[in-house]
Amino acid sequence: MTAPTFFDAWHYDGKSAIKRKVEVQTIGQQFFLLETERRHGPFMFADVEYIAQKGDVDVYGLNGEDGWRLMLSGPVPTELAAMLPARRRYGGWVDRLGLGKATVAFTLASAAAVAVVLFSPQWLAPLIPSSVDKKLGDALVGDFGGRFCSTPAGDAALKKMVASLDQNPQDLQVEVAKIDMINAVALPGGKVILFDGLVKQARSPDEVAGVLAHEIGHIREKHVMQALLRQMGLAVVLGGVDGNSGALVNNMLAMSYSRGSEAEADAHSMKVLGNAAISPVATASFFERLSELDGSARSGDKGQGIAGYMSSHPLSRERKKAFEKSIVKGKNYKPALTSAEWTELRTMCTQDRKAKSGFGFDFN
Amino acid sequence: MSEDLGQRHSAFRFHGTWQEFAGIAFPNLLLTIVTLGIYRFWATTREREYFWGKTDFIDERLEWTGRGIELFIGFIMVFFLIGLPFIIIQLISQGLIFRGETIIAGLVTLLMLLLLFYLTGVAYFRALRYRLSRTYWRGIRGGSDDPGFQYGISYMWKSFAGWLPIFLMVPWSMISLWNERWNAMSFGPHRFVATAEWKPLMKRYLLFYLVPFLIFVGAVVFGIAVAASGNSPDALGGTGMAIGGILLIFAVLAMYIILPLAALAFYSKYFRLAVGGLRLHNLEFEFRARAPDWILFFLANMAIIICTLGIGYIFMPYRSWKFFIDHMEAYGEINIDELTQSETIVSKHGEGLLDAFDVGAI
Ligand SMILES: [Zn+2]
Repeated sequence: MTAPTFFDAWHYDGKSAIKRKVEVQTIGQQFFLLETERRHGPFMFADVEYIAQKGDVDVYGLNGEDGWRLMLSGPVPTELAAMLPARRRYGGWVDRLGLGKATVAFTLASAAAVAVVLFSPQWLAPLIPSSVDKKLGDALVGDFGGRFCSTPAGDAALKKMVASLDQNPQDLQVEVAKIDMINAVALPGGKVILFDGLVKQARSPDEVAGVLAHEIGHIREKHVMQALLRQMGLAVVLGGVDGNSGALVNNMLAMSYSRGSEAEADAHSMKVLGNAAISPVATASFFERLSELDGSARSGDKGQGIAGYMSSHPLSRERKKAFEKSIVKGKNYKPALTSAEWTELRTMCTQDRKAKSGFGFDFN
Repeated sequence: MSEDLGQRHSAFRFHGTWQEFAGIAFPNLLLTIVTLGIYRFWATTREREYFWGKTDFIDERLEWTGRGIELFIGFIMVFFLIGLPFIIIQLISQGLIFRGETIIAGLVTLLMLLLLFYLTGVAYFRALRYRLSRTYWRGIRGGSDDPGFQYGISYMWKSFAGWLPIFLMVPWSMISLWNERWNAMSFGPHRFVATAEWKPLMKRYLLFYLVPFLIFVGAVVFGIAVAASGNSPDALGGTGMAIGGILLIFAVLAMYIILPLAALAFYSKYFRLAVGGLRLHNLEFEFRARAPDWILFFLANMAIIICTLGIGYIFMPYRSWKFFIDHMEAYGEINIDELTQSETIVSKHGEGLLDAFDVGAI
């Protein structure tokens, strides 16, 4: 056996499955395929497209002719080769750039896309008109299924607390919901919901004020809209990554950002508490109790357990320390509410019998 | 046409090597990573080009003419026409839950899931149609003129009918759907005829179906026997614990080993029956892999993935294709002169929305 020195051409016309041995006859921009007794063509070289390489055979198709094939093997004459389209390996761009350059180019483009998605929400979020924000919040929350608690005295106490923590309380809507969970959320449209479980377990009004100030911090720093935009952007950019790995990357990015947001909201809380002359001690002790709940106290002094790192909230233990540090010695702190007001706020949900209770739905 | 050289070999032969495939799989992996996954449509296409091109049917190689861009555009369309509305509906239903409209929220979610289930059925059909329409042999391709919307309905009701009698009719729904799908397909001028039967599948299915019960009953009987043989509750203390532990380990092993084995045994029978019931004009097909072949195949896959610390995962498409072709067989004859071009519509990229909903093979 010797290496093929002859140039071989086979043809399928796409109309039947008969394989035809042909010769290629080139006439300018056109060509014919010659069988012993038949002539196929003329065909335009411009219509020829590269299909595939099968072993040592190059397969060409013809644009507009379904199943038309020309299969060339052996040393193709240079004049003919010059008229035929180039081989395709990876597909358009990669073939043009080469694998190495394409890899670099794609990496840069991907990094740029991720960077845009991660950083643009910071300056995009303030551009979203507050009316849109408000509508979104109303659409999402509405009357919260009638779970908001309300009594005249309780409302007044809450209003006083909000006013002491924020300069523009009129564009905030703070509510206590009849849900027995130790949690609070900031939602679009300046909405803050304190869960009754959190208010009930609090040992002083200062503690509620600290948490409320934290949630107001999320709203004032536009974290909610930022997170929404970032999530949407990541969903689009990472939409191409399949299943688990995409979700993992997405969550990790979102978490690292939410950790940053939490720290900002805490800083806001400490500043506002200081301005209102409310002691951060109670908030620190609240985080102390939380850290016992979430177990970060057990993970050693440094608290760098993997669970702590992955957690969406900064370690309660670290937050406790931060709040303790913000205590100014000798400052004349006064309680966030009078004891009468505090009692009204704490018992608001118990007093309000119209409010529906419970929640078959967990959200954080 | 092709002379049988006395040596009995299959009509289907795969000439690929894993070394060659590595030359495709590794660049694919690299490009897929640096494009955040977008390249995977082109990666899939390159893999198929390789598999098809290295597969002989009788005397000519197959040819894959699908394009990465078709899959990509299909994906984009699915994202905007299905994914995005899906996300919005989810947001709305979440809002409804917030507002306490739980019943309406549940209804909206249920409707959405039903629609998604329907679309999955359509997608299965379209995936097969897409693959056949992009598969050429001797310049001839396959396809179907059926858009698959009717099949989506069948997929819904047959699946439900299969589940309704405590999942006992699943084999019927699987085979019946396979037949319905393939009966709508053609290659060249010939239509596929699928007449697989479901009854012969029942024995294997019941085996798989009953495994959990058998394990449970076995454990209970064993437990009672041990308890009965024990002299006094005190004596049972230490040994009882040990026996209990062994029992638990046995039950867990049974669940994780026997159940998958039973599932594989069922699937191998299903695939053998399904392919065996397929005809194309004068051609008949057979899939020769039996349960032990499937089991060995999966064990080897697992061993490869574990021994290569996961990298071997990229060779799984190669292994699957090789397994598939190595066990495919066709009998009968083809008249080459009669095998003319398919008249079915080829949906151009972007046109066939769900062609790109490219779910599982065949
Ligand atoms: Zn927060």
